[in-house]
Amino acid sequence: MPPRASKRKSAPPNSSSVTSSDGRSVSSKAKIKGLEKIDRLFNTYANSSFGMIDPEGIEALCSDLGVDYTDVRILMLAWKLKAEKQGYFTQDEWQTGLKALGVDSLSKLKKALSDLEKEVEKPSNYEDFYTYAFRYCLTEEKQKSVDIESICELLNLVLGVQFRPQIDSLIEYLKVQNDYKVINSDQWINFLRFCKEISFPDLENYDAIQAWPLILDNYVEWMREKHS
Amino acid sequence: MIESHMHRLVQMENSGLINMIVDEKYEDLGRMYYLFRRVSNGLVLIRDVMTSYIRDTGKQLLTDPERLKDPVDFVQHLLDLKDKYDKIITSAFRNDKTFQNALNSSFEYFINLNSRSPEFISLFVDDKLRKGLRGVTEEDVELLLDKVMMLFRYLQEKDVFEKYYKQHLAKRLLSGKSVSDDAERSLIVKLKTECGYQFTSKLEGMFTDMKTSQDTMQGFHASHGSDIGDGPMLSVQVLTTGSWPTQPITTCKLPAEILGICEKFRNYYLGTHTGRRLSWQTNMGTADLKATFGKGQKHELNVSTYQMCVLMLFNDADRLSYKEIEQVTEIPTFDLKRCLQSLACVKGKNVLRKEPMSKDIVDTDTFLFNDKYTSKFFKVKIGTVAAQRESEPENQETRQRVEEDRKPQIEAAIVRIMKARRVLDHNNIVAEVTKQLQSRFLPNPVVIKKRIESLIEREFLERDKGDRKLYRYLA
Repeated sequence: MPPRASKRKSAPPNSSSVTSSDGRSVSSKAKIKGLEKIDRLFNTYANSSFGMIDPEGIEALCSDLGVDYTDVRILMLAWKLKAEKQGYFTQDEWQTGLKALGVDSLSKLKKALSDLEKEVEKPSNYEDFYTYAFRYCLTEEKQKSVDIESICELLNLVLGVQFRPQIDSLIEYLKVQNDYKVINSDQWINFLRFCKEISFPDLENYDAIQAWPLILDNYVEWMREKHS
Repeated sequence: MIESHMHRLVQMENSGLINMIVDEKYEDLGRMYYLFRRVSNGLVLIRDVMTSYIRDTGKQLLTDPERLKDPVDFVQHLLDLKDKYDKIITSAFRNDKTFQNALNSSFEYFINLNSRSPEFISLFVDDKLRKGLRGVTEEDVELLLDKVMMLFRYLQEKDVFEKYYKQHLAKRLLSGKSVSDDAERSLIVKLKTECGYQFTSKLEGMFTDMKTSQDTMQGFHASHGSDIGDGPMLSVQVLTTGSWPTQPITTCKLPAEILGICEKFRNYYLGTHTGRRLSWQTNMGTADLKATFGKGQKHELNVSTYQMCVLMLFNDADRLSYKEIEQVTEIPTFDLKRCLQSLACVKGKNVLRKEPMSKDIVDTDTFLFNDKYTSKFFKVKIGTVAAQRESEPENQETRQRVEEDRKPQIEAAIVRIMKARRVLDHNNIVAEVTKQLQSRFLPNPVVIKKRIESLIEREFLERDKGDRKLYRYLA
């Protein structure tokens, strides 16, 4: 799970009610049975007064899945579920997500997690996941930026494995610089671009005259000074 | 033939090109020009040597701390330098256009080496319009103003000049210290022709306010003339916020005698102009006080409003401590200290005595009315109203305000350009923005980038999803 916001002012989003249709045909019986299992799984972790899975529920889910709640795979799960609010899964999101994963039990979900990793890493999905990770941290209404501390943790979580040296160096810079106290989505998306396109650690092909965000211009300058 | 000796002739130690220039040997220079013309690159050589000499001299002038101490003198030097080279080019170099251009670019180069040039040129103008142009014929006034405009054109940071010019003009207008109203207006017309209506509309607003205030005062005196009797005579200039340089709101408690008439004016004015708000700018006013000293000697003291507040306190007390004065007048510390210094520590103007007699004002000082004050003049001017070269911290503050003012101008330029082009790459935006703003200042590419990013964050622009070097205008 990505780092949580310290304050949670707004109430959790409304969960939608599941309407059951009458006159179930034979062919959809299997589907409905599967849906029932998914719903039952949902209810295991959901907070009954809200009608959705809240942070405590997610923690419990993680423990049952055998992953740490700060594991990137939980973030990937949230992405797959298209979860809107950090720390919460609505019934709708849960149903749609698990159906898409093709799972209806805890053990199946556990297995699906590693498949999910591969799915996320596909180039067609990766940028979407990466952008989602940032949005997921916007906990307040109208919030557009995320504080540096959280960004560093998120960078480590999301890009740390694939781009270890760049991320370590970038995180070091972000912590010492004073120009920016928060990062917006434009800067965030360019971090990924930077890792993918710029040769490291020489940074040879970085052109400050191009349309890179200023924060990266400053980072490159800092790097060049460090190694001169 | 000439070619082989060209360099030697130019570089000769005591009679080379540079010496000719310095000693204004027009005939020799003319001859050199005539000869070198026949050779390809002959004139280029003369021009290059002259240009680098001008640039070096100019650079020296601009970075010499001694020269920079007196802004008026400094600018006069610049004008003299320009005159000198203009003369050489007309007399000896046949008004050669390429030489004119080289001279212009040299001046443009070194004038902008010093960030204070805009301020100094404005101070020069201020000095001339305050006293320097007294008794000068109209033609000569025009000539001087045209020369000033020529220097103005070289400035890269015209918006900085505008800021200072506005401040200095405000002081001149409010103190009634302008030598010639015609000269003032003539310069404004020249600035308008050069920079467009926006540059001068606020300045013109200032003149309008002065005229309107005169009319207002006439109306006020007509309706209240009989009430005043023995009380203070008030003269008010009503300034439209926005046309005049922004002033911080200052605290200052006006003496009771003054408050009465001020309230009368306020009621009169608001009676005829509903929906407006008036606030007294106590840091900008002046007062004429009739003072009687120990042996009965009378003087008329021309002081600032702050000084008036301080001096009036001594009608009821012979001695007052700094703290008491501060408490009663509520004048901000920095201004109060400067005010007291001008009243107690300046020779010939020390209507107050200070204990101890040290140079600086400190919290523990005590002030006394100086019974023994004498002056051979009946009217004594104590207020500091003349524009002065800014101190370092003041300069920093003005700089900061200029930088802040530039941000929205840069953003407006970016939006205008993107609205027209829809999609544009980074380098071209920077180039276009620079071009659009060059008549006011030279924008810093880093600042342009910051503004672009701010506009992206506010969703006026976005990066193109395909080619990340491009920006896209969001309708």
